[in-house]
Amino acid sequence: MAIADTASTGIRQPRIWQRAPVLIGTLLVAGPLVVFVLWPLVAILMRSFSTPEGFGLENYASVLGTARFMRILTNSLDVTLVSTGIAVVLAYGFAYGVQRTLMPGKAVFRLLVLVPLFAPSLVQAQGLVLLFGRNGLINRTFGTSFDIYGYWGIVLAMVLYVLPYAFLILSTALAVADQRLYESARILGAGPWRIFRTITLPSSRYGLAAAIFVCFTLVITDFGNPMVIGANYNVLATEIYNQVIGQANFERGTVIGMVLLVPAAVAAIWEKYLSRKQFALISDQSKPLELRPNPLRDWSFAALCTAISLAILSVVAVVIYASFVHLWPYRMTFSLRHYNFDVQNGIQPLWNSIYISLMAAVIGVIVVTAASYVIEKLRSPVTRGLYFLSILPAAVPGMVLGLGYVLAFNNPSNPVYAIYGTLLIIALANVYYYHAQGFLIASTSMKQVSGSFDEASATLGGTRLQTLWKVTLPVIAPTLVGVAVFFFMRSMVTLSAVIFLITPQTQVAAVSVLLLEDRGATNQAAAFSVCIMATVVAVLLAVRGMLWLLGWKHVRLIR
Amino acid sequence: MSLRIREVTKHFGALTALDSVSLEIARGEFVCFLGPSGCGKTTLLRVIAGLEQAEAGHVELDGRDLIELPAQARNFGVVFQSYSLFPNMTAARNIAYGLECRRQPRDRIRKRVDEMLALVGLQDHAHKLPSQLSGGQQQRIALARALAPDPQVLLLDEPLSALDAKVRVDLRLEIRALQQRLGITTIMVTHDQEEALTMADRIVVMRAGRIEQVGSGRELYGRPATRFVAEFIGRLNLLPQDGGMPALQHATETGAGRPAVLGIRPEAVRLHPAGTEGANHIPATVAQVVFLGSMTQLVLDPGNGMRPILAETHGPEAGGFEHGAQVVMELPADQLRVVEWQ
Repeated sequence: MAIADTASTGIRQPRIWQRAPVLIGTLLVAGPLVVFVLWPLVAILMRSFSTPEGFGLENYASVLGTARFMRILTNSLDVTLVSTGIAVVLAYGFAYGVQRTLMPGKAVFRLLVLVPLFAPSLVQAQGLVLLFGRNGLINRTFGTSFDIYGYWGIVLAMVLYVLPYAFLILSTALAVADQRLYESARILGAGPWRIFRTITLPSSRYGLAAAIFVCFTLVITDFGNPMVIGANYNVLATEIYNQVIGQANFERGTVIGMVLLVPAAVAAIWEKYLSRKQFALISDQSKPLELRPNPLRDWSFAALCTAISLAILSVVAVVIYASFVHLWPYRMTFSLRHYNFDVQNGIQPLWNSIYISLMAAVIGVIVVTAASYVIEKLRSPVTRGLYFLSILPAAVPGMVLGLGYVLAFNNPSNPVYAIYGTLLIIALANVYYYHAQGFLIASTSMKQVSGSFDEASATLGGTRLQTLWKVTLPVIAPTLVGVAVFFFMRSMVTLSAVIFLITPQTQVAAVSVLLLEDRGATNQAAAFSVCIMATVVAVLLAVRGMLWLLGWKHVRLIR
Repeated sequence: MSLRIREVTKHFGALTALDSVSLEIARGEFVCFLGPSGCGKTTLLRVIAGLEQAEAGHVELDGRDLIELPAQARNFGVVFQSYSLFPNMTAARNIAYGLECRRQPRDRIRKRVDEMLALVGLQDHAHKLPSQLSGGQQQRIALARALAPDPQVLLLDEPLSALDAKVRVDLRLEIRALQQRLGITTIMVTHDQEEALTMADRIVVMRAGRIEQVGSGRELYGRPATRFVAEFIGRLNLLPQDGGMPALQHATETGAGRPAVLGIRPEAVRLHPAGTEGANHIPATVAQVVFLGSMTQLVLDPGNGMRPILAETHGPEAGGFEHGAQVVMELPADQLRVVEWQ
């Protein structure tokens, strides 16, 4: 064996056996991230500056200066701020009820508030139209003439749409508390309102801020709900769709996409920054909170949560109802005819959705596990860059990413063109659109697998691959099941990342809901929505059952 | 077979963790690296294990340089402070892990696992997960896991510090007995001098990335090479030869008349009734009496600006002193040694 002469060179360099796996791992993770995240964003950026005379700012000038654009921008911000405000306040109340009171039926409430996550992202608008639209249940029954279309329709739909996301964050923020603080305050004579103001609210402020930013991003980038219920009230997201699909004006579409990217990116960056601070608040000496019965408080929150749950449920219930009547609203007799799907493509979009979601689940788990492994375990000079690419999609609206895919890959000279127009490219769009969240779940879990396991394995003769296969992956397997379910659920219900990528052959169920709704085929749209919900619920139940059989407890499936 | 460490150097940023450390360890020897936290003892162990890369220097086993080999290829057994048992595997599968990584035949693995479980006395716990075992049991399994692939050297990184006091004392003797039975070369890192004294053939005292002294516990205690070693192992009264201290006779050859700091162990201080006279006899007041069962500690204040002296007495002698009593302490010349020249 050659002995390196360290006396002459001074510092000993890392050996090839240390560098090779790092290099290979980094390339395997970086390559796809560059192709499927960075490239599309660069493509859309380039296109926004491209004019017949080369590069220039004309596109921006022609869009940003117009009165129409300013109105749409104001509309977007107005709708977003108002719905975010309402949703976060309601979600805080709901989360407080679940975590900090002894109201009856907590487990049921917790489940009900999450129902919108199982449904296509435009189900709220769909349900509201069925309830309050011109031919809605209310107007028909009471002879009133409510007009739900427009501003308030969008706000109402958005509030219901983002409530579960805000609830998940706030519920986590309110789940932990230090009993000692509350006891001290009570001993010092503080009343309930003072305790709430000085202890509860400050200790959940990071969660609150994170909820605000997540809701803000979700609302400003959602386009399904405003499409269905917005009528003439245009927002940025629908405007991109109108420009690209309606007028085939990619340049204007990309400019508006870039504009949409800014607030979404700012909100996402703030959210990431704040989420790091949440953990330091509770020390290992904290005593868990002991709740004491308080009938007035408990029943007040039960009433609030019942009201919110009813609003959420009524929207979903009316969609289910509409899917089973002969012809809404004229012949309200029971019928299964909408489940024949005698529309163009028939039931195929549902199968497409299921294939895509299964592919996204499998590919998503592999991709985010690899990314978190390489980033957490194989440190290298490019680790920070990889981390940035991994969480970058959180700042990118789905429509912008989807449009980027069209601009980057719809080009026969591009190698990715081979899969353009297939189900696979749609699955990949979903994987990378939700990459940040999946990656953060996996990497949190990977971080908990102590580095000392790697060292123990190495000293026992285990190679990196043996360690990964025999120790790391089995330890984080339960979390990975959660990640797979996350990708499956989101891929089943999402519209925004896929809307520009579908072809007649690769149409997905959520898009069918939108198109059928647009055509006035209300009942069929409802039937598609119901099929999506049924599929998601069935898969959740199946996975839960499998986990139960394996004896894996405490696996969080709904995120 | 011997393990040679030659001029190993390692920095963490601006901090020098190991400063050209050299050491030779004989086959079958039990050596402890002892020192305060940050002295480099754990880093040295990790360099030997191959978990940390030294910037310069060599680790040789039987003349063969291992410094280029990754931890996987060194065949050194390591037991970590936090046990680091794989939480997804039973005790038996943890022990089998190293053998499986070496792709040994199944029946041989099974036999070896049974042997190892018997060695640490945990045959009945083979199918338990680490979370179902106590701390002491987990550390025994970790030891069995490290020994299963028949390593050339056993490395123990503060293996007992996470355990309860009682378990710790039992396991000390158990590990030492096991090591002697197997005759395996063993290095243990510890900051606990009592642990080092009870277990090791030789102790390596480290400080700030350097080896301060190497020797048996008896040597280090009796003939500390430096003031640091003298103070780190056992307790020591320091007697700077200046100020109010009367000139003391001592056995050490004088360093050309330079003033020296003398030291004496508390148990070497002899006590006499007030009025007794003789060489190195100093009158003092009993400032504090601490009864510790088998012995009594006395703090003796000689006055005139001299620092108080700690004395330990055993047996009947201990009973005679009370707080405030006047005594004469004798610092026998043959027990005084120079710990530092000034």
